[in-house]
Amino acid sequence: MKKILIPTVILFFSVVVHAQISKAKLTATGLTCSMCSKATYKQLISIAEIEKVEPDLNNTAFLLYFKKGSSVNIGDIKKKVEDAGFSVGELLVVFNFNKQQVENNRSFTLDNNTYTFMDTKSGTLNGEVKAKILDKGYIVEKEYKQISKMVKQYPSYATISKNLFHIKVL
Amino acid sequence: MNKIFLIVFLFINSTAFSQELFVFTEPASNMPAKSLAFRDMNGFFLEKDGKLNYHNMPELMWGINKKWMVHVQGFISNRQEGGFEAEGGSLYAKYRFFSEDAIKSHFRMALYGRYSLNKADIHQQELETMGHNTGYDAGFIATKLLHKVAISSTISYERALDNKPDYNFPITESNSAMNYTLSVGKLMLPKVYTSYKQINVNLMLELLGQRLNENKKSYLDIGPSVQLIINSQARIDIGYRHQIYSTMERTAPNGMVLKFEYLFFNAFR
Repeated sequence: MKKILIPTVILFFSVVVHAQISKAKLTATGLTCSMCSKATYKQLISIAEIEKVEPDLNNTAFLLYFKKGSSVNIGDIKKKVEDAGFSVGELLVVFNFNKQQVENNRSFTLDNNTYTFMDTKSGTLNGEVKAKILDKGYIVEKEYKQISKMVKQYPSYATISKNLFHIKVL
Repeated sequence: MNKIFLIVFLFINSTAFSQELFVFTEPASNMPAKSLAFRDMNGFFLEKDGKLNYHNMPELMWGINKKWMVHVQGFISNRQEGGFEAEGGSLYAKYRFFSEDAIKSHFRMALYGRYSLNKADIHQQELETMGHNTGYDAGFIATKLLHKVAISSTISYERALDNKPDYNFPITESNSAMNYTLSVGKLMLPKVYTSYKQINVNLMLELLGQRLNENKKSYLDIGPSVQLIINSQARIDIGYRHQIYSTMERTAPNGMVLKFEYLFFNAFR
C-alpha cells in the first residue's frame, strides 16, 4: 500500500477561531422505514451537545440543533448514525463566523477539530454560514470518488483523520 | 411452482415503500447498537389428526454494536403429554460483515449461527432447531433494499443432535440439511410520512425450503404475512405458513404465526 505522508501544510495556517456550530442538517442513507428513522433519531438525541432533533421522515433527513456554547464533535454524529445501522449521505453544518477569512486550503480550528476550506470562493465570512462536510463517510461514495480527483489541489484531503474536516461553503 | 414465481415477481414489481423486518426469516441488517428488544412468537400449527400444536417462543434481542447482535430464546409448547411445557432454548448471533448504503437503498450481508437445546421427542424428518431439535444452524444472509422493495435470501446448514436426555436422534434419518429462503416485503401504508406515530402496514411474502442431505428429501413452504408497526417501535406480525410440497415426514407444517415485538432504543449507554 502506498504510504500517505501526513501533509504538514494543513496545520500550518490553522488558527483557533471564535466561531460556533449552531445547527446541522444530516441526510442518512440506507433506510426508508420509520422504525429505522426512529432508531437514528434516538441515537442522535443521545448526543449530549444536541438540544433538539427534527426528523424529516420522507427524505430520511434530520435537523440538529446544538446547545448554546457547546463544543460540537462532528465525528459523534457519524458514529451515532452508523450505530443505528446506517450511513451519513450528506452533512451540512451551520457555522457562526466572526470575520472569518476564507480561501482554499486555509484551515481553522474549532473545538479541537480542524476545518479546511475546499472548492470555495475567497472572501470574508460573517454570521451564519452553511458548509458541507466533504470527507469520506460524510458524503455518498460516488461523490467521494469524484472529490478525491481534486487531491492534487487539496493535498490534505488524502489524510483521513477523525479531527480533520474539509468544508465547502454553500 | 411457476405460479409462485409469478406471484413473487408481481410483488417485487408493485410500487410502494418496502420493509425487511421479515416474519419467518431474519434480514442481514442488525438492530440498532445498544438497543434491546423483546419478541414473543406464537405458533398455532395443525397436526393431521386435528390436534392443535401451540408453540410459544419468547425472545430477548440485543444489538451489541453496529456489526453484532445476539438473541436468547426459550421454547415452550403443548406438544408433550404433560401439557404446556418448557422444552428448550437457543442462542443466536449475527455478524453483519458487509454494508453499502445509498439514498433509500442498501445492500447488506451477514453470517449467523444458532445453537439450540431441546428435550422434546423427535417426531418428524424435518429438521428444525427453532423449537424441535437440539442442534445448530449456521448460514449466510444477503438483503437488498432497492428504492421501494426489500428482498432477502438466506442459505444455511442445519445439523440436528440428540434431544437429551431421553431422545437420541434416529440413526436411520438424515441429521443434517440445507435450508434456503427468499423473502420480499413492502410498506403499504402510510403513503407519505408525517410522524413516527403513524401506523405502518407491511406486506410480506416468503419462500422457505429445506433439503435433507442424506436422503435428498425436501419441502417448500410459502409464508404470506401482514405486519403492523406502531409508534415506530412495536411490531405485530400475523403470518400464515403453508406447505407447497414435501417429500419428507412433517408433523404439522401448516399454521398461523402471531408475533409481538417491542424495541427499547438506547437501553445500554
